[in-house]
Amino acid sequence: MATEDDDDFVFYGTPIEREEDTISRKRKSVAEASGQLRTVPAHKQEVRDEEGRRRFHGAFSGGFSAGYFNTVGSKEGWTPQTFTSSRKKRAEIIQQDVTTYLDEDEKAEMVGNSLGTSMQFDTFGFTAAEIARSQSEKEQNQRPSAIPGPAPDELIVPATDPIGVRLMLKMGWRRGQSIKSSKPNAHYDARREARKAFLALSEDAKAHAPDSKDAEDAIETAAELPIDDISQLPKSTPVYVLNPKQDMHGLGYDPFKGAPEFRENKRSHLPGNRESGHKRLQPKKDGLFSFKSINVAPGFGTGALEDLDVEDEDVYATGYEFEAFVEEVEEPSRLAIEDKKKPSVKEHGSLPGFKAATSSDNQLERFDPPVVPKDFVPRHKFPVTHEVNRKLTEVPPAEVPPPVDNKLKVLIEGVATLVARCGTVFEELSREKNQSNPLFDFLNGGNGHDYYKRKLWEAREKHNDKTKPFFNEKVIPSAQKMTAESRGNILGEKPLQRTVKDIKTDVPATEVVNLQFHLSDTFTEPLSFVEPTEITKPFQHDPAKQERFEQYLKEKYHGGLRTKDAGGSSKMSEAARARERLEFEAAAEAVTQRKWGKEGQSSSQQILGASAGRGLQFTSGGTENTQASLAEEVIKKSMFPKREEFQWRPASLLCKRFDLIDPYMGKPPPPPRFRSKLDSLISMPDYVKAAKEEEKTNLNKFSLTQADEQNGANVMDVEENVEVENVERPVDLYKAIFSDDSDDEEESTNTNQPNDPTTKIEVANTALTRIVAGDFLESLGKELGLEVPPDQPYPEKHAKPQPTRKETAQEIQQIHQEKREEIDSNAHKDIRGSKNDTAELDHEIEKKVTKVKRDKNPSEDERSHKRSKRHSRRSSSSDGDTSDSSDGYRDRHRSRHKERKKEHRKHSKHRKHRTHESSSRSRHSADKEYGDGKREKRRYRD
Amino acid sequence: MSGLPKKETNVLKGHEGAVLTARFNGDGNYCLTGGKDRTIRLWNPHRGIHIKTYKAHAREVRDVHVTSDNSKICSCGGDRQLFYWDVSSGRVIRKFRGHDSEVNAVKFNEYASVVVSAGYDRSLRAWDCRSHSIEPIQIIDTFMDSVMSVCLTKTEIIAGSVDGTVRTFDIRMGRELSDDLGQPVNCISLSNDGNCVLASCLDSTLRLLDRTTGELLQEYKGHTCKSFKMDCCLTNSDAHVIGGSEDGYLFIWDLVDASVVSKFRAHSSVVTSVSYHPKDDCMITASVDGSVRVWKA
Repeated sequence: MATEDDDDFVFYGTPIEREEDTISRKRKSVAEASGQLRTVPAHKQEVRDEEGRRRFHGAFSGGFSAGYFNTVGSKEGWTPQTFTSSRKKRAEIIQQDVTTYLDEDEKAEMVGNSLGTSMQFDTFGFTAAEIARSQSEKEQNQRPSAIPGPAPDELIVPATDPIGVRLMLKMGWRRGQSIKSSKPNAHYDARREARKAFLALSEDAKAHAPDSKDAEDAIETAAELPIDDISQLPKSTPVYVLNPKQDMHGLGYDPFKGAPEFRENKRSHLPGNRESGHKRLQPKKDGLFSFKSINVAPGFGTGALEDLDVEDEDVYATGYEFEAFVEEVEEPSRLAIEDKKKPSVKEHGSLPGFKAATSSDNQLERFDPPVVPKDFVPRHKFPVTHEVNRKLTEVPPAEVPPPVDNKLKVLIEGVATLVARCGTVFEELSREKNQSNPLFDFLNGGNGHDYYKRKLWEAREKHNDKTKPFFNEKVIPSAQKMTAESRGNILGEKPLQRTVKDIKTDVPATEVVNLQFHLSDTFTEPLSFVEPTEITKPFQHDPAKQERFEQYLKEKYHGGLRTKDAGGSSKMSEAARARERLEFEAAAEAVTQRKWGKEGQSSSQQILGASAGRGLQFTSGGTENTQASLAEEVIKKSMFPKREEFQWRPASLLCKRFDLIDPYMGKPPPPPRFRSKLDSLISMPDYVKAAKEEEKTNLNKFSLTQADEQNGANVMDVEENVEVENVERPVDLYKAIFSDDSDDEEESTNTNQPNDPTTKIEVANTALTRIVAGDFLESLGKELGLEVPPDQPYPEKHAKPQPTRKETAQEIQQIHQEKREEIDSNAHKDIRGSKNDTAELDHEIEKKVTKVKRDKNPSEDERSHKRSKRHSRRSSSSDGDTSDSSDGYRDRHRSRHKERKKEHRKHSKHRKHRTHESSSRSRHSADKEYGDGKREKRRYRD
Repeated sequence: MSGLPKKETNVLKGHEGAVLTARFNGDGNYCLTGGKDRTIRLWNPHRGIHIKTYKAHAREVRDVHVTSDNSKICSCGGDRQLFYWDVSSGRVIRKFRGHDSEVNAVKFNEYASVVVSAGYDRSLRAWDCRSHSIEPIQIIDTFMDSVMSVCLTKTEIIAGSVDGTVRTFDIRMGRELSDDLGQPVNCISLSNDGNCVLASCLDSTLRLLDRTTGELLQEYKGHTCKSFKMDCCLTNSDAHVIGGSEDGYLFIWDLVDASVVSKFRAHSSVVTSVSYHPKDDCMITASVDGSVRVWKA
């Protein structure tokens, strides 16, 4: 029991080994190794490690253990290298490079492969120096010295001579000897002296930092030159003499290592530099230096430079200065002049080695300022009268509702306008005139006085606007105090077209108009004077009518507050009035339309000329705004929220999770669906046709393969697989049923493609499935005693051209998909609808078929492959029909004259069947029958 | 008229930084809050006890929802993923990744089988809790802008977006209804009878829409809501509308006549979230000031 239990468990990890076990094993191994093994033949000997474990064992127990048992082959095994478990001793970060991952021998190889100059071509001795340096470094590492770190460069002498030295040695030069021409060169000396003098003249002002080392080199050689003679070759001075160590830095320490540019600076400031040991050369120094600079001849002073091998960077560091001097030497006078001319440019513009150009193409283009006309007065004067100023500065009277009496209101407005135009004189006059008239009480502070005041102010305002619109803009910045007209004038804007015209698209315009008027009535009634700006007279021929028209307009703009003396048209009939009203409406519309086109300039005169009643053309800006915003709001309200409805397809899984039935179950995905529907509406009268179409496209899409009839093995396979085959959906059956002979044949002849061995089996499978289904159908038909009409090809079948062939492959594919779906749904429909017996039959078939075969989901592709295969096979074998069982066929044929479709289906079944000769007896007969059917069909076609 | 929850009974303190969401659980005995401190906290608001903290989010927690059986939590936030938690163990069962941007809102469906999330990436995503798939079941990306809020009914997914639409995805009918409000919607809330949807717009207006017709029934104004994602809700009787304000006030409107019934200072800063108790007259409010307050009648 216990062992059984142990077997059930799965163990992970390595069990802890008891010590005695390992010891005993070890002992055993030792014993084996010593004596036993010798007796065992070679093929039976086992390799064991010191622990006594086998070195070679099966792959499942770890395979070959190279050195370390069941590990990666290292002592640490799988333990990550970077990991150290100790808390205190943290894992060090290992800087990884290539060598980390290389074995010793690989590393050795790597070294061998590294590129370097061979000694043979070591022209400058760099490689040798490098090797020497690395060598010394190695040594340094091996035996730690008092001075840590790498040895200073100075201490390491290059192992080999540079090629130059070697060359010179060959030429007769000896170490320690200075280099110069062997014979005294008088001519050379003279030339040098001349140049010295010349340079001393030209560059005395220049207080440049003396390049001490080079200078010294030069000095050295120059100093020696006079002394030397032919016979006695002078020794070259060692570097330490020329460059005595004057600082307190450690040996080999170079404070300017990273910044050589400071070196020069430092040297120039060193006090001892000039005095120490070179005093005799001091007077000559400048000249010499320049001279040296000019002639940086390749050969000259090499000997001196040679010793400075390690510091040769200094030679190059001074290179720039040389060039600068050269330039100065070449044209000193010119430079001097330019210095004076363009000091600023010199200071920060020019680079060493470059000089500023004297002439530049880059000239600044200048534009003259615009010419001011002579009569231009820089200050604008406003011809402002005293009165206007006063009016503008005075606080506008509060807005008051107009008197209830419309007549009075009109009167007040009229007077106000006149007064505004003609001045207060008119007011005085009218006051005197109408002292007794109670209507004119408003002039004396009576009824409507406040309103009059307001009107007067407004009228004045307007009048002023007319004359000096721009002045107003400055003085009255606030829009509230401005009338709409004035603002319109100022801005030159088009006033609101009485209603918001651009919303017309969304909301019926009339509605908006009405709405707005109602709004203005309710909310801003006292100020709603949307007067017609300009009274054009469309009814000039009929003054009375014109008057009525004006009255109408007034009423209209007053927003429905109808005066009692309504236009004086009482004598007119109701019908005539209505007609006239319509006319007026049209005219008003026309007038307003026209009005906005041209700005009414003479409006004030017009208004004045007309009878009292039209005071202002606009309401004040504020009210207009509120109206507009109100209207806007209303519009917005009417616009939003906007509801739109779209089709949306929930994922089937989502429906499932929400416990709902997928509304699109079994329907094709939305985007292609539109097309497919359209297609089917246009060209597909029924699903049979669609099926046919699909067949065609199938054939087009997939490479057709011809089934190998003679392949017995395949047939065997087929038989084996029949039981597993599952018809998942009735679609397949339908497809099989609706296959079309003639089309198939055509297709097959079109596409003679090589066999596809992989699909053969599938083809055979489906074929057999269909055969079985066909048998069922047949037997069912018999049982039900259905009369099936003779096989009759569909008329469309032959008449219909095949447009799909011309389509591109993609389209075909798409359509194919759509059709498939469509058929699918149709099939569903058919099966569900129990009206026709076909459906019932189908249902039966479906059931049975699925009963027989299940557990398999042939994919779409597979199925289509099968189909295509089937067709081709069928067509290829169509010729070899037999006719022996025609009697039996006839009988059946008669019994089937009712159900054409069914007949068709059966045919397809049988056709498939044909390919498998080794099938059962019943199948065989069916096969023959198929052949008859085929013939029959052909007959029909003929 | 039942009493409105205007009396502060408890203050739930524990979140560091702004609390972005506060939600009652199904029976109203507990509540969950999520905030900028990347934690989700479970409280008993009635006793004012902090029960548990759920930590796993890498960024702020923007929304949280608990299943009706109180066994699972889903949460979302700035780290672009949804977390599906086990309540008792406090472990993350699953993480749903797929949103391209921050996830604004998350909801379980009725059976807690699907989580629907609304993201800044203009999409709604439905995730399966039943299977082990971590791929979304469906991605709805008809929105033109960030989707701010999502509500689920038995058959519909309703979501409000900054593009100004409240979209209803009817799974049963297979259609999408889009109600364009013209103003960015930052929160939607269903009425308890399910006939209306309350949408909080960024023009400082709450709008009540009729679900069936898409008609605007009422507008509620007075508060400030211009730049924050702030919740709104209806009381249990659907008699009042509650919404927070950016100045820390809480507004209670009458549903029908849109008058401000009550207005009081609930927090010192923006009221980010309001959740109403499913049965009692009790509500919790969360604020940027880091506190969660419990209000009772």
